[in-house]
Parts: sequence; C-alpha cells; structure tokens
Amino acid sequence: MNFMNNIIEDIKSRFNPENTEIVKKNQIAIDFKNEEVHSALAYLKSQGWKQLTILTCVDWIKENKFQLVYILMNWDNSITIQVRTKIDRDNPKFRTVINIYPGAEMYERDVHEFFGVEFEGNPNHEKELFLELWDDLPPMRKDFDPLAYSKKKFDVREYKVDFIPKEGEAE
Amino acid sequence: MALNENEKINEIDVNELDCRDTLTFWEKFGNIFRSKSIWMLHYCTGCGAMELPPTMTSRFDMERIGMAPMATPRQADVLLITGYLSVKTLRRIIYTYEQMQNPKYVVGFGSCTLNGGVYYDSYAVISRLDYYLPVDLYIAGCMPRPEAVMSGFKKLMDMIKKGEALGWKRYQKYYDWYKKNQVRALGEVYVKDEFHE
Repeated sequence: MNFMNNIIEDIKSRFNPENTEIVKKNQIAIDFKNEEVHSALAYLKSQGWKQLTILTCVDWIKENKFQLVYILMNWDNSITIQVRTKIDRDNPKFRTVINIYPGAEMYERDVHEFFGVEFEGNPNHEKELFLELWDDLPPMRKDFDPLAYSKKKFDVREYKVDFIPKEGEAE
Repeated sequence: MALNENEKINEIDVNELDCRDTLTFWEKFGNIFRSKSIWMLHYCTGCGAMELPPTMTSRFDMERIGMAPMATPRQADVLLITGYLSVKTLRRIIYTYEQMQNPKYVVGFGSCTLNGGVYYDSYAVISRLDYYLPVDLYIAGCMPRPEAVMSGFKKLMDMIKKGEALGWKRYQKYYDWYKKNQVRALGEVYVKDEFHE
C-alpha cells in the first residue's frame, strides 16, 4: 500500500490530478483534466506502464458528460492505473493517443462506434468495426432505446393467447 | 408491433401444397438415401454449439445415425443455427446458406432462434429466424440437451425421408420475400471485409 501511495505522490508532484483513489489492491484510479491526459499517459508509459489494456467510455447522462477511461498495466509490479477524464457529451471530441499507444487505434474506433466520440488525429476512427451499416444513435448511449430499435428493425413472433384466466387466477 | 400497415409482412403458409415434392419413385428413393447420410456444416453461431461435442463423441455418438460434421458449405447438407444470431453473423450465414448445394436444410436451436430468447430487446440480435432463412426444424430449449438434439436430428431424418423438409424449395419460391426481410434487417446483404480489401 505504501508503494501505491508513492506512485500517487509522484504523479501529484508532476501533474494536477482532480482526484486520486486506490480502488483496490494493485489498482489506482486518477482523474485528470482533458489537457493533462496525454502528458500523463506519456509519463506513465516511460515509467513502465507499457500496456494499454483497454480504452473505454462511460456515459454520465445526468452530468451531460462522457468519461474516457484508459486502463494501463505494468508487467513489472503488476499495478493497474486507470487514467480517467470527462469530456463534453453534446460535442464529444478528444485528441487521439495513437502516437503514445499505437494499439489504441482499434479501441478508439470501438468507442466512436458505440458512443459517438470523435478522435482527432486518428485517420481511421470513423471506419465501422462491429456494427455494419448502422443507421441510428450509437447504441451504448443511455438515451438509445434498444427495445424500440429491435421492434422497428426486426420482426417479432406473435402468439395466440388461448388461456382465459378464471376469477382469482393470475394472468 | 410498431409497423405501419403497408410495411407489415404477412406470414407465408409453410405447408402449402404446391411446393411439395412430386414424389416419383426415384425421388422417394433419393430421399431415403439423403436421410441416411447427413453432413452438417461446421459453422455454429451461438452457445448451442456447446451441446454438439457431447452429441458427437462417444456417449451419444451422432455418427451411428449417419451424421457427421463437414468443413465446407459446398459439401454440407445441414446448416445449424445454434442459438442467438447477431445481425453481423446473419449476413455471413446468408452467404454460407446460398453457397450450399440443393437440397439443404436449416435447423434452429433453442429459444433465441424462435423468438429472440433473452436477447429479445437487443439491437444486434434478430428476433426470429424464419423471416430470413427457411427453417425446417426447431429444437426447443435453452439450450437443448444432447438427448433433445439427437431426437431433433432423428425427426429431421424422418422429415427428409417423407419429403417434408422443403425449406430449400420454399427459399427458391419465395426468394423475393426472404430477400426483402433480409434487406430490411441488414440494410444490404453484402459482406464488407476491410482486412481483405
């Protein structure tokens, strides 16, 4: 635990994180401002967090924000760091990190497809990855209604109801 | 259903008389042989494929009733849709089905192919299979046990022998109807593969 605190102190001395927490054993979460994310990622990569495990997105619809989460893994001391930042939900744009972590290209395409976040600087971010010929809101946004989409797009089997409940019986 | 009246699709009559086999002597003969050697395609789409290894191996031993797996669509007779079928997979399934030689049969496994199952409200999973491909036989259950799978295959063999498994003729006859449904769910039936472009 002391070692984890040392990492947090080191990051606090170099950057101005909004919030830091120790999520559980071997896992740290740090919230950065938008403009500090790239320098923080580059610094962490130089310190041994060489693997970008995943880049994903969380929809905070009441705050009107998207939260981007970069999860980094260090193979030497097996400590995972979540680098998190919140961006505007109405005009979701963020600068790409493929110059720091080249493997982020596919994750950025994924996040663009499921949340609609645009990554400036990634030439392929608008290419479709999973959803072919998608024609609606990005499906992982919380204001997207999957049941309504399914009813509109796919046909449902209709059943004849031949059970008539008597008095006192459940329907 | 949220469809307009003019968009609404009427179901076709599955047992319509005029796409029945003519059943001459040689066709009856051929049907008997077809029912004795069925090659099923090695392309399983959902969790139901998990029930096939025990069905194939020594406890239930599918091969003793004359069924065996086959690697390529052009040599296979049966296409198994085992469980949920996503929109992306449906496009590949249609390609695969159209490559298979006549006669060809489709078997739907489990509740997902019947009515969507637990994925009834998913944006990516189709709700019922027989709008897109002609299904000869459904095996109920989630998932069907190997006993149910074996009994389903036995039933399929009986259907082939009697000349009742006529999904492939239905697909030829109502091709426009199937195509319309496919295009409605998929946009267009064309596989875009960026890794081979």
